[in-house]
Amino acid sequence: MKRECFAETGFLGAAVLSASLTALILIFMLFLGFPLFRGGCFFTLLTTPWNPDKGLFGIYPMLAGTLSIVFLSLCWAFPLSLGASALISVIAPTGFAKFCKKTVQMLTGIPTVIYGFVGVFLLVPFIREMFASGSGMSILSASLMLSMVISPTMILIFTDTFESIPASYSAAADALGASPVQKLLYVILPYSRQGIFAGLILSVGRAMGDTLIALMLAGNAVAVPGSILDSARTLTAHIALVIAADFDSIEFKTIFAAGLVLYVFTTSLILLVRIIGGMGMKNR
Amino acid sequence: MKERFIEIFIKSFAWLSGLLLLSAAFVIIGFLLVKGVPTLSLSLIFGDTSPADALLLRRQVLTGLFPAMAGTCLLVLLSVGLATPVGLAAGIYLAEYSRGNLKSFFSLFYDILAGVPSIVIGLFGFSLAISLHHYVKEIYPCLLISALALAFLVLPYLIRTTQFAMESIPSETRLTAPALGATKLQNIAYVLFPRSLPGIASGVILAIGRCAEDTAVIMLTGVVAAAGIPGSLLSAYEALPFYIYYISSQYRDAYELQTGYGAAVILLIICACLFLAAFYLKNQLMDRMLYRQ
Amino acid sequence: MRLDIIKRSFILTGIFISFFFIVSSIAPAGTIDLFTSEKGDIKISGGTAHIPVMKDAAKQIMEHNRDIRISIAGGGSGVGIKQVGEGLVDIGNSGRKPTDDEIQKYGLKLFQWAIDGVGVIVNPQNPVKALSKTQLSEIFAGKTTVWKALGGPDKLINVYTRDNSSGTREVFWEKALDKGEITDKANVVVSNGAMKTAVANDPYGIGYVSVGHMDNSTAPVILDGAEPTIDNVKNGSYKIARGLFSNTKGEPKGLVKKFIDFLFSPEGQQIAAKNGFIPVK
Repeated sequence: MKRECFAETGFLGAAVLSASLTALILIFMLFLGFPLFRGGCFFTLLTTPWNPDKGLFGIYPMLAGTLSIVFLSLCWAFPLSLGASALISVIAPTGFAKFCKKTVQMLTGIPTVIYGFVGVFLLVPFIREMFASGSGMSILSASLMLSMVISPTMILIFTDTFESIPASYSAAADALGASPVQKLLYVILPYSRQGIFAGLILSVGRAMGDTLIALMLAGNAVAVPGSILDSARTLTAHIALVIAADFDSIEFKTIFAAGLVLYVFTTSLILLVRIIGGMGMKNR
Repeated sequence: MKERFIEIFIKSFAWLSGLLLLSAAFVIIGFLLVKGVPTLSLSLIFGDTSPADALLLRRQVLTGLFPAMAGTCLLVLLSVGLATPVGLAAGIYLAEYSRGNLKSFFSLFYDILAGVPSIVIGLFGFSLAISLHHYVKEIYPCLLISALALAFLVLPYLIRTTQFAMESIPSETRLTAPALGATKLQNIAYVLFPRSLPGIASGVILAIGRCAEDTAVIMLTGVVAAAGIPGSLLSAYEALPFYIYYISSQYRDAYELQTGYGAAVILLIICACLFLAAFYLKNQLMDRMLYRQ
Repeated sequence: MRLDIIKRSFILTGIFISFFFIVSSIAPAGTIDLFTSEKGDIKISGGTAHIPVMKDAAKQIMEHNRDIRISIAGGGSGVGIKQVGEGLVDIGNSGRKPTDDEIQKYGLKLFQWAIDGVGVIVNPQNPVKALSKTQLSEIFAGKTTVWKALGGPDKLINVYTRDNSSGTREVFWEKALDKGEITDKANVVVSNGAMKTAVANDPYGIGYVSVGHMDNSTAPVILDGAEPTIDNVKNGSYKIARGLFSNTKGEPKGLVKKFIDFLFSPEGQQIAAKNGFIPVK
């Protein structure tokens, strides 16, 4: 009996240890960024530009960069993923659908740095010549590559949801003589609304948390971007760039503010997914 | 008429997006293979050192990819080694011991941890190293710190796959041993854990892949451009993904760029192999469960 | 297949051994022999202009003695100075002289082992190969935005700059731009190497880089009549010059001291010259 108790304590210890990491990371960010919170300048940081030569350390341009790259990449990836999942689950013949799904699963295993590497040597020159404006390192390039990174996961979540509709629903639609597209439109999609939403939100988190694509393809300029062909810097790339540069200074402290913003954003996305019913999560 | 139009529209949209995605993927991989495969050779990996000498650590490899590959291997071994025991134990607790509110409380924490961007975990590792450095002079961003940070990164995946694998064991199997008088721990150790091993193993392999490919965490926690094979846990080290990133932004000449393509192909092959292994194990699990049921 | 590899490795070993004998028989006993019975790690970080020299020096030393490990990281001069000051690395390189504050705060000991310049580069395809200082300032301030205004193609100018910890940036900003503004729309790259690569790949790019890093993948820009070459830096006609420093916290000891000595030895100075810098000895 003693051994039982001992084992349970051990398992519990591991669980508590793992869970405490989540809190510990937050505490570290708060603690090291703490000097910024005194005097309430944390919120000023979020709205001012970055220009250390003039003593300005705001992260507003990076916030804008992150949001625009994430938004644009979802604009490409979401319709594409929805279409591809419909193809896999409903429209394509079984053999081809299986092939597609296998390929998509393989794609989730490709390292991000490889997408970035190909982006640097294939996509960036292409964008530069195509639009003849700027260096090709732009929000557009980064968002296109990023959509390639997040699409596979999004497709897998969507197809899982599509395929989890009760067999009776599906059979009812078939019995009424619905075509595959009608079944998709009137049965599968309405039923999968929550799952689609959950998949979308998880992808937002994924896109927001990615560092390498933006660092390698977006150009890292510290201006607030004005068009999709402008160079921009994300919060994640900012952390990578400034940490490579410094510590012990105000600049360095501001990256904890950037880290904190990312942490809060991704945590609220997870909470949101839970609140909308956790259906997407249970299926994973 | 309208129905017909919508039907055609949706069908063609689905085909279009599916084919677009596939062709983009093939262009990316094809480009890499066409450029990278011709560069693969022993001298790419070992430079002008003989492979036998390099593998036995008799000579250092100064121009090849060997130190980066060795760094990645050590990193993966260490971080997965650190994360697996904790991850499995926590997963078992979650699946078998915790109930109700406590369970959803724990799983919420793990989901949040899984969602934390890797660069933030890297930042955490870096600040941990700097804080520790004030007390222990030998600690600075190094192999050990990177391995720890990567372990934090993959921990939630390990916990969740373990939990999922244990929970998906059918209740007939689950109840047999207790019915014969086995204790809970015996049931876990002799029935539930072995039965969920394929699922857990595929989780571990995916965690290995995650550690092998991650760049954001290690670039903050100790990876450098040139270091050779790390001499101890507290040394700086090289790693394949960082090498690829480094070369992409600052290759000195055509030859260095070639090594970048070579490194990318090698990393791709490693990740593909790991992925196929995980996939195979997962399918085995599925087959077995279907068969037993 | 297996046999082939073994055979090849034998041949390689053979070549290597004979090569080793030839080299060791002709090489004169030099500073490198100081490392013979040494053992341990040297950690170097900071200035990115230094990296090729550091790599070559490390290679020579590690080939000579495999018990020595030298790790080299970039980050920029600011990082080098702070990391060596905090005791995180043994040698912190900087492409600018550390400020008096930094020297005092950390107790730095400075070793300047070469002289370098900072020059403007464009893509070789770009017909604009000479600029005045005013034109340069206007380009970097984002006031001149098309190459056409300077006699080039009708394309936008893509400005590349470095992050704030860069010593190259600091020197360029002070001596070429007279502390003028650098546009925030400029793309930011992380090292001298990355700057060269970026401009070499961008037909409409402009950036600045250590003179030692220039090669024919990019084209140097003549600034106010002076071409940024190592000879012009040496004879003083090209003004944007700077020292390359390796800094230690306090007086260097043991292996680190030997490494610094090596940089100042004939072998070390030859490495610096080979990489396009002006040796100090």
